[in-house]
Amino acid sequence: MKILIIEDEPDLSESIGAYLGAQDYLCEYACTWAQAREKVELYRYDCILLDLMLPGGDGMDILGTLKKQGQQDGVIIISAKGDYEQKIRGLHAGADDYLAKPFHLPELAARIYSVIRRRSFGNQNNVVQNELKVDLLSKIVTVHDAQVVLTKKELDLLLFFIGNKNRVIAKSALAEHLSGDIADMFDNHDFVYAHVKNLKRKLSDAGYGNYLKTIYGTGYKWEG
Amino acid sequence: MGRMRKLLDQSLRPLVIYAITVLVISIPVYFLIIDWIWENELDKHHYAIREKLEKRLSHLSLPGGAVDNMIAVLDKVQPGFSFNEAAAPRPDSLYTVIRFDSFMNDREQFRCLTTDIHVNNKLYRLLIETNMEEIDETILAIGAATVFFIALLLSGFIYLNRKTALRIWQPFYDTLASVHTFRLESGKSVPLPASDVTEFADLNASLDTLMQGSLASYRQQKEFTENASHELQTPLAIVKSRLDMLLQSQSLDAGQMRIIEQVYEAINRISRINKNLLLLARIEHAQFEEKERVAVHEMLSGIAAQFGDRFEDNALHYTENIGPFTTDANPVLTEILLTNLLVNAVRYTPAGGDVTVHLDDRVLTISNTGTAALQAENLFRRFAQAASEHAGSGLGLAIAREICARYGWQIAYDFSSGMHRFSVLF
Repeated sequence: MKILIIEDEPDLSESIGAYLGAQDYLCEYACTWAQAREKVELYRYDCILLDLMLPGGDGMDILGTLKKQGQQDGVIIISAKGDYEQKIRGLHAGADDYLAKPFHLPELAARIYSVIRRRSFGNQNNVVQNELKVDLLSKIVTVHDAQVVLTKKELDLLLFFIGNKNRVIAKSALAEHLSGDIADMFDNHDFVYAHVKNLKRKLSDAGYGNYLKTIYGTGYKWEG
Repeated sequence: MGRMRKLLDQSLRPLVIYAITVLVISIPVYFLIIDWIWENELDKHHYAIREKLEKRLSHLSLPGGAVDNMIAVLDKVQPGFSFNEAAAPRPDSLYTVIRFDSFMNDREQFRCLTTDIHVNNKLYRLLIETNMEEIDETILAIGAATVFFIALLLSGFIYLNRKTALRIWQPFYDTLASVHTFRLESGKSVPLPASDVTEFADLNASLDTLMQGSLASYRQQKEFTENASHELQTPLAIVKSRLDMLLQSQSLDAGQMRIIEQVYEAINRISRINKNLLLLARIEHAQFEEKERVAVHEMLSGIAAQFGDRFEDNALHYTENIGPFTTDANPVLTEILLTNLLVNAVRYTPAGGDVTVHLDDRVLTISNTGTAALQAENLFRRFAQAASEHAGSGLGLAIAREICARYGWQIAYDFSSGMHRFSVLF
C-alpha cells in the first residue's frame, strides 16, 4: 500500500512515516506545494495525507487537481485548521476524511485503513484475521463462522485495533476515538477499559485466541 | 460631581449677568443725569424770566401805583409767580420742593427760584416756580424702561445665542453624536462630519486616528489569540505523534508507561485549552454566521446519549425531561453550548450524584448535585475556576456565555437545595 504524506513539518511527517512504515505501508513524502503537485501528477497512491497549509500554496488546490483528473486516490486532510467550515469544505471538495491536528497516530492509521478498505474492496469487503472475520458492509463479526454480537462501540474498537495491528495504542487514543469530540473534555478514560474488557470477553467466549494484549494497564496491543 | 451644564448655556450666562448689572446701575445714573438737566434748564429759564420781567416792567415807565397793580395782577393771576415787597436785598435761592398743589389737585414737585428784582427803585422778593415731574415717578419711569430693555436684551441674547452659537457649534454636536454610536466590537469606525473650521476638522481627525488605533489593537489582540493557537497546533501534533512512537518502543517498563500516560494527559489538556481559545476567538470574530432551524430537543437528546459511558463510569443518576423546542441559530454553536453545559454538569458531580436535564418552551435547565454555591460572578469568566484537579479548560462556560450573548439568550446560575442549576432562556 502506497501512502503520500504531504506535510511541511518534517518532525510530524517523519513520525507518521515511521508509524505507518511499521505496518507495511510504503510512504513517500512531499513537503512543499510544488513537490506535492508533481508527485500527485506522476504517481498513484492508495491514500494521500494532505496538509492544507503548505509553503507555496493551498492544499485544497491539490485536492482539486486530483478530483478534476478523476483520480481514485483516497485523500485524508490533516490540518491545523480544525474549524467546521474547513472540514465541510474539504469533504465537499472530495476528501474522504478530515483529521484536525493534533491527532493520535493510531487514529490516523485507523482512518487510512478504513479509507483504503472502502476504496479498494468494493462489495467484497471482508477483513480476516486468523479465525476472525469482519464483514465491513453488513457489520457482521464471526469467529469460526459463528456470529459474535458486538455493540457499536465494541465493533468500532475492534476495527480500530485491526487498523493498528501490532502497535501499542494509548488509552487516551482509544478514548478519543470512541467518544469523538467530548472525549478530550475528561481526564478519566476508565470507560475504555470496560469496553475493551467486554470485547475481549465476547471474542474469547467465541473461541478467538488471546491476541488483544493489555500493556501495563495503560496501553493495548492487537497481535495478528 | 456637580450638575452638568450645557456648553451653550455656559457662554450665555456671564453675558446675561453683565447685561443685567449694567442696566441696573444705569437706573440711578439716568435719573441723576435727567434730574440735573431738568434743574439746570429750569434754573436758566427762571433767571431768563426774572431778567425779562425786570426789564419789561422797568421799560414800561409806568407810575408807581400802576406797577404795583400790575405786580399784584401777576401775583394773583400768573401761575408760578409770587411777589412780595422786600426791605433789604437777600441772596438768590434755588431749591426743589414737593407739595400739594390745589390747582392740579395732586402732590407736585416744583423747581423754585427766589430772587430780588428792582422795579422803579422798589425792591421786590420774587418767587418763580415750575412744576416738574416728581422724583419718584421719574425713577419709576426709568426703571420701567430699563426693565423693558433688559427683557428685550435678554430675549435677543437667547435668540441670537440659539441661532448663531448653535450654528457655530453644530459640527461639534454632530461629532459627539457620531462618537456616541462607536462600538469597538463592531470592528468599524464611524464616519465623522466634515467641517471647514480648523478646530473641528482637527478634532475629527484626532478622533478618527484614535478610533482606528483602538480598532487596530482590538483586531490585533483577537488575531493574536487565533494565530497563537494555530501556531501551537503543529508542535502539539509533533509531541503527540512522538509519544505515539515512543509507546512502540519494546523496552518500556511499567513506570515509563505511566509517565507517558501522564504526558498524554497534559498534552490533551493543552490541546483542549488551545482548541477552546481558538473557538472563543472565532465566535468573537463573528464567525459561524449562518443560521438554520435547530431542533434543540433532538440535539440535546443526541448529546446526552453520547455521555452514557460517563454516567455509568461515575455512577451518576441521569434524568431528562425534554420537551420539543426549536429555534433559529447556528447548529454548531448550539451543539457546543449544550455539550459544554452537560460536560460541566458531569465533570463536577461527585460519584453517585444526580444530573438532571429539563427543557420546555424556551427554558433549558441543567442541574447537578453539589456541595456549596459557586461564585456566580466569576463562573463565566475565562480561566476563572480555581480547581486544578479537574480537567476543564477553564473556558467551557466562557464559551457558553459568548454563544448565548450572540443570540441574546440569557444564561444564569443558581444554587439551591444541594443542586447547581444552570439555565438558558432562549
